[in-house]
Amino acid sequence: MRRFVICILAALFLCIGSVSSFPVLAKQEDEHTDSGKEETVVLRVCSWEEYIDLGDWEEDERIELDNGETILGINPMVTDFEEWYYETYGIRVQVQYSCFGTNEDLYNMLTLGDTYDLVCPSDYMIMKLMMEGSLIPYSEEFYDTENAYNYYINGVSPYIKNAFEENRINGESWSKYAAGYMWGVTGILYNPEEVTRTEAQSWEILNNPRFAKQVTMKDNVRDSYFAALGILRKEQLLDQEFIASENYHQGLSSIMNDVSPEAVADVQDILQDIKDNVYSFETDSGKADMISGKVLANYQWSGDAVYAMDQAEEEDFYLNFSVPQECTNLWFDGWVMLKDGIGTDAAKQHAAEAFVNFLSRPDNVVRNMYYIGYTSVISGGEDDTVYEYANWCYSAGDEDTETVEYPLGYFFSGDNEDERYIMTAPVDQTERQLFAQYPSEDVIRRSAIMQYFDDDANARINQMWINVRCYNIKDVPIEIWIFAGILLIGVAGTVAAGKLRSY
Amino acid sequence: MCKSIFSRKQLGIPYILFLFLFVIAPLFVIVFFAFTNGEGQFTMKNLTGFFTDSNTLGTLAYSFGIAIVTTCVCLLLAYPVAYILARSHMKMKSVVIMIFVMPMWINFTLRITALKEILTVIEGNLAFYPFMNTVIGMTYDFLPFMILPIYTTLMKLDNSLLEAANDLGASGRQTFFHVTLPLSMPGVVSGISMVFLPAMTNYVVLDMLYNSTYIMGSLIGSYFSAYNWNGGSMIALILLLIICIFTLATNRVADEDAGNRGGALL
Repeated sequence: MRRFVICILAALFLCIGSVSSFPVLAKQEDEHTDSGKEETVVLRVCSWEEYIDLGDWEEDERIELDNGETILGINPMVTDFEEWYYETYGIRVQVQYSCFGTNEDLYNMLTLGDTYDLVCPSDYMIMKLMMEGSLIPYSEEFYDTENAYNYYINGVSPYIKNAFEENRINGESWSKYAAGYMWGVTGILYNPEEVTRTEAQSWEILNNPRFAKQVTMKDNVRDSYFAALGILRKEQLLDQEFIASENYHQGLSSIMNDVSPEAVADVQDILQDIKDNVYSFETDSGKADMISGKVLANYQWSGDAVYAMDQAEEEDFYLNFSVPQECTNLWFDGWVMLKDGIGTDAAKQHAAEAFVNFLSRPDNVVRNMYYIGYTSVISGGEDDTVYEYANWCYSAGDEDTETVEYPLGYFFSGDNEDERYIMTAPVDQTERQLFAQYPSEDVIRRSAIMQYFDDDANARINQMWINVRCYNIKDVPIEIWIFAGILLIGVAGTVAAGKLRSY
Repeated sequence: MCKSIFSRKQLGIPYILFLFLFVIAPLFVIVFFAFTNGEGQFTMKNLTGFFTDSNTLGTLAYSFGIAIVTTCVCLLLAYPVAYILARSHMKMKSVVIMIFVMPMWINFTLRITALKEILTVIEGNLAFYPFMNTVIGMTYDFLPFMILPIYTTLMKLDNSLLEAANDLGASGRQTFFHVTLPLSMPGVVSGISMVFLPAMTNYVVLDMLYNSTYIMGSLIGSYFSAYNWNGGSMIALILLLIICIFTLATNRVADEDAGNRGGALL
């Protein structure tokens, strides 16, 4: 009997051992083991892969800005935060940092019982989480501009701040629950030797037969839906009267968020055309295929476009980025605190808010932007480090003969005429990295945020996407049916003959 | 005398627990999800939905198409190789077998990436031949699984049977079709099931070779990422049933064949 018990114990031990390698359970154990000694706050953060500086830069990567700031990532950002928090507030914090692949993955992880305190989903997922009431609002203290450690509220770009306040769901603005991290637009990355800028400035490049099997599409329903809607509503979107009208922005937003059954059905037809025309639906491989020259144009997020352009330049190959004339999708990723994780734990909430603030400190913003290639929502406020970094990256040097004035005031001060933020940049940069990282104001004017759709609309567009991607049984040619029939009869005949023979 | 401190029954307990936790319990979860809707109420809608939607049926047909073609190509390539290897008396036989098996030692995504580049060089643009590329990729991936079982059965084939056929006046062709082929059927059948089943669901190959049409595996994934656990579970369950039926049928054919021929010959 004792042996039997030992066996069961051993088996249970094995099972628990394997179960506890799941992050959630293991984390909870850690939390308890720490509480014995010095009080340590455990902060469970979940963000996109490759979305924070991991340090370990080479010495020659040191960024020396004109305002005297030098920036070098030595330790991972997370480690630096832990040290900074202890030095500043005298409390030890331990950050458990994990990653997710897509917004849907994150949502599934959360519904399946993973607990995190601070996560960084995209705009529509923030809206979904807000709708479901799973978020905790940021404290008033977080918005206190008097506190010098509140780097976020003191540094966030007026343009982004505005967007976060204007966008409301359930009557509450995003800014109550979300602090921005990175932002960007969607557009077309293209090879300027083969594709003209005009061709790349329309979503129709995706179903343009001239580029049959030489363009790639994004492999997710939301991005694809947006582009196809841009093609569907092209005439209306390019109508000069509409663009000049007073409620252009509102109109644009409602057109680009149209998920009525008719619109979905029309989009399905367009996406079916696109499916036959494109090289692939991709999430990640498009960049490599652009650089290797397999494809000529690529539906791309601005940050990934910057990365691809940088990579291509290392091989003396130049790619450009354009934003379609019809419209573009403006997106954000933002930090939100989860009810399930933080609950009423004030110490934890403080650490979470401090983490967001630490990432928003201008020098850290530069480190993250340098490391991941996306554009931070932080403009720096009084501190000009972020603008100096943009200057350091893109402004014209002595060797550039053709230059152009590139105003960035809309982002850095809220006034695009602001002379402090007019960069003198080489002409080609207005079609490359600078343009992708900080689009010009006219791009921002034609940008729309894609809203969160209710369950019905979501089910509709998801079903539409499945229909596009599936092979329809009505398309099976008659020869195949005949062939399959003969095959089936043949197999049945052989089996029957075998049976007969054995009797 | 050395006696184990645990009885045999007791040693089985860890596995039974494992079996229950990671095989049987999840299966129940799948069945539960498959027959309920989002609110947890019983429904047959997922099942009828699958068989009335021309897209899901099309996906099933497409998966079958890929799996059947891949299996046929693998069989046509593998049988002669296995036959030649098993019959030959060369000294380096094990080396040759190793060469065929060696690709399996390399991670398969790496192999498909390499194949992608090779196919790009040959075809120019991969996107024009998605079906063919998928079949090539799958064949490349699964060929060893077809060669090995056939080779093993052919190796075990009793030489005296062939000699007897020869003595009784059968020609080489007759010997092959009446003795060797029937006796190697168990190997062929296990090869077929090892190739056919993964070929129906392995969507990584399609993804990597830019075939943007869904097969069963990717269809389940797309349901899950649309939070439709119920529809996805139903497809998984249907796939499971298809696999079950297929395995039972092939096993039966193999048994019968072995029984009939074996009985007749020995």
